[in-house]
Amino acid sequence: MNRVQKIAWSFVITISVAFLLSCIAIAILYFKVGMPKALAGLGFMGIAGLGGFSPLIFQTDKGKVALDERDSLINRRAALAGFGTSYLLVGLACMIPFFILGPKASISVIWLPYIFGVAGLGMFFVHSVAILVQYGRRNKGEKS
Amino acid sequence: MAKNEVRNQIRRLRFENGEMTQQQLADKAGVTRQTIIAIESGKYAPSLPLAFKIARTFGMPIEDVFQYEDEDSQSSETSLYA
Repeated sequence: MNRVQKIAWSFVITISVAFLLSCIAIAILYFKVGMPKALAGLGFMGIAGLGGFSPLIFQTDKGKVALDERDSLINRRAALAGFGTSYLLVGLACMIPFFILGPKASISVIWLPYIFGVAGLGMFFVHSVAILVQYGRRNKGEKS
Repeated sequence: MAKNEVRNQIRRLRFENGEMTQQQLADKAGVTRQTIIAIESGKYAPSLPLAFKIARTFGMPIEDVFQYEDEDSQSSETSLYA
């Protein structure tokens, strides 16, 4: 497993853990204090930010070459998948309220940071998953 | 759409060249060992410059290391020999 795969794994794990804990916290708080205050459970999404430290934790791979053309290609494809997902999420966030509430309705601007956050996390998550999928789960046949 | 595939003789050539390891070949070609593994197993088709580098490492012409095959060429070969 190379450095890029390790960083991708750390992003996938931190974002998944943050998302799961947030969902659990919101569900618990919803039954205890009601809906507006239950959104405080989103504070657990801050755990996702820990993934940002992974490039500092994982050192550059040993050997003459750290990254080559295949790594660049994989990263480019993964970035495309990530940005595509982000575009899709923003598109859905724009169009779903339009179709449900109608063209003359208005929504609070408080939703804009949420949309931005979800689109950003979605991009990082899909980018990381796409990297892992392209490298393969296991490096089969790694024999010299 | 025709399925195409780049086959290669890298594994055989490595053993014929003093049992060269994947890491040694990777260092000579300027790529990672993972990339050599992916090329050997046919999961990744290298760029032309990389293919030339690998062929030059073995001191052979590129067509002796890499062979391009697609369904069209296979079917035409079959009809020729039929």
